[in-house]
Amino acid sequence: MADDEMEDEKEYRWESGYEKTWEAIKEDDQGMLEASVADIILKAKRKRQLDRKQGSRLGMMRHMYLILDCSESMTNQDLKPTRFLCSIKLLEDFIEEFFYQNPISQLGVIITRNKRAEKITDLTGNPKKPIKDLQALQQTSFTGEPSLQNSLELALKTLKMLPAHASREILVIMGSLTTCDPGDIGETIQTVKADGIRCSVIGLAAELNVCKILAVNTGGEHGVVLDDKHFKEKLTAHIDPPPAATRLDAALVKMGFPHHALQASTTELSVAVCMCHADQPNENGRYTNPGYLCPQCFSKHCELPVECRSCGLTLVSAPHLARSYHYLFPIQQFQELENQQMQTNCYACQKRFTDVDKKVYNCGKCKKIFCVDCEIFIHESLHTCPGCATNTDLTMQKISNNKST
Amino acid sequence: MATDIEKSLLIIVLDINPMQKLIKQVITQVLSSTIVFANAHLMQRSNNILAFMSCHDHGAEFLYPKDDMPGVRQYDGQYEKFSQLEHTVRKQIHKIVGEMPMKHSNETLISGALSMGLCYITRLEREKYAGEKINSRMIVITGSVDSATQYMHYMNIFFTAQKMGIILDVCSLEHELTLLQQGCDLTGGNYLKLPQNNGKPNIPGLLQYLMWIFLPDPAIRSKLVLPPPVKVDYRAACFCHQELIDTGYVCSVCLSIFCKIRPICTTCHTMFKFAVPLAHKPKKRKKAIDMVQ
Ligand SMILES: [Zn+2]
Ligand SMILES: [Zn+2]
Ligand SMILES: [Zn+2]
Ligand SMILES: [Zn+2]
Repeated sequence: MADDEMEDEKEYRWESGYEKTWEAIKEDDQGMLEASVADIILKAKRKRQLDRKQGSRLGMMRHMYLILDCSESMTNQDLKPTRFLCSIKLLEDFIEEFFYQNPISQLGVIITRNKRAEKITDLTGNPKKPIKDLQALQQTSFTGEPSLQNSLELALKTLKMLPAHASREILVIMGSLTTCDPGDIGETIQTVKADGIRCSVIGLAAELNVCKILAVNTGGEHGVVLDDKHFKEKLTAHIDPPPAATRLDAALVKMGFPHHALQASTTELSVAVCMCHADQPNENGRYTNPGYLCPQCFSKHCELPVECRSCGLTLVSAPHLARSYHYLFPIQQFQELENQQMQTNCYACQKRFTDVDKKVYNCGKCKKIFCVDCEIFIHESLHTCPGCATNTDLTMQKISNNKST
Repeated sequence: MATDIEKSLLIIVLDINPMQKLIKQVITQVLSSTIVFANAHLMQRSNNILAFMSCHDHGAEFLYPKDDMPGVRQYDGQYEKFSQLEHTVRKQIHKIVGEMPMKHSNETLISGALSMGLCYITRLEREKYAGEKINSRMIVITGSVDSATQYMHYMNIFFTAQKMGIILDVCSLEHELTLLQQGCDLTGGNYLKLPQNNGKPNIPGLLQYLMWIFLPDPAIRSKLVLPPPVKVDYRAACFCHQELIDTGYVCSVCLSIFCKIRPICTTCHTMFKFAVPLAHKPKKRKKAIDMVQ
């Protein structure tokens, strides 16, 4: 317990920094405080980014099961409006961001209540499905106790079937302080560990020893949230892929890159039933256009990425893969410099530097100067340095590099 | 209360690389059409905002708006904002072309201009008032060929734009641009390759196409009769031969794409212990819910 408090303190140092910096907060020309508060938040963000490990081997075909406690404890109102509603809201953002950053990964949802575990979403590559299923939960009731063991066993059933090159993860959101397990959970933890599944727990109430053991044994993270902002931070930590366990086998995976099938291209395509909607009773949407044709068996799917329903080939679009390439070729950190008016404007956003901009940022490659906001935007979202992208020599250099390899 | 102020931001990226065979002959015509198009956007609503960028093989730069724009004067009764835009843009393009190094390449750094454009949009988003809404889009007008070298930059830009809800329009004067086409498709923008007239691009008609296809706000576009969507090629290029393939093998560590099974990944140097296709797990058809008691 003492350890954990230490950890929390460490985790939240920037928050305490927040309190101490009242002296640092100054009014700007218009008598507004926002600028300097924003500055502190920016600093915290930048720190998170610097902490990010770079160049580690990434098992990017992630398979994650989200285990959500739906027991009575989730109706508690210490998170607003309730623990459950707060979790749903944050999880929606999390799922969107998870698929954005890990485009060919899969995610499933398991809920637990009344001593049972129930899979509400199978592993899927489409963010809309788990979000829809989570929202539907609002209509149901939250009763009884959760069962950690049953949930783990249920997730295990699917996860252990996956090929050896896939990285497997479980993320547990636990509101209850108890878990009702039919057998020895220690054994389950050992099995989970043996299968190389990384389990992390986010507690909403207080630390549970069994959760801590689970996380420590499987190389996951364990933490208890203090408020909704902290909860969000905790979730965000799971968006970047974990450095893959070394035992993960590398493999070449066969994938299909389907063409866009438009109505105009061939007449028979327009009547092909889309496989994703084939088992739905209502006719609407079954004959949707356009779609994507599996290059192996020519069945039609309306969204990518997807695993072909009839032949099992993973279908992705090439840009989907390209979206993760920024993990392979991350742009290096910019150098922080005192603003000495060597440049009047930010190279990227054209913002004119004023006295408020104490620090400016310098890309080591193209030597361009950026403002702090652009620096963050470039590293967190864009993953392309505008300075380097507008530099002929750096572009040409890349061509010769590509040719030499 | 300023609750419902909606602004429409248009960023125009004009390719002025002198290596384009076409641009050499018709740059003045293209520039004039583009400026009229820019003014038309400003004219639609007083809330509309505009940024004008140029790009070429040595970089990209913002031409308008500028911190040090010349004072507003009226020419022939023209609206001050229009003459200011035209004057600023023309003057700077003149300066840029004059200062260009002699060595040229075909590689126009469009991705660089677009990445700066995205940073600019983010800044306006940051600086806007509460309740203000900015709908942003970018249009590229270019006569250059596709550039595979900028592939990574392009993809980063397309996905960022898609996430931010920024539309990318492309008007190609001469060539078929598969890469930028993917960007239009991903972000929901329009793509147009200028139709040919007697085997030559129909430059005199450029303005009309710009006004018809690219001027209307995205919200209105669905109601207009526009050219049919192009078939976007989403096939991948293998890393080994740069050829388009529809099934390929992907390294599970770094996602490099190869057209044949190989023992080692050339990108991340991983040895593959076994090279088998992804195990096919049969899908359960029944809708029963898995339960563990
Ligand atoms: Zn198939
Ligand atoms: Zn900036
Ligand atoms: Zn740079
Ligand atoms: Zn590789």
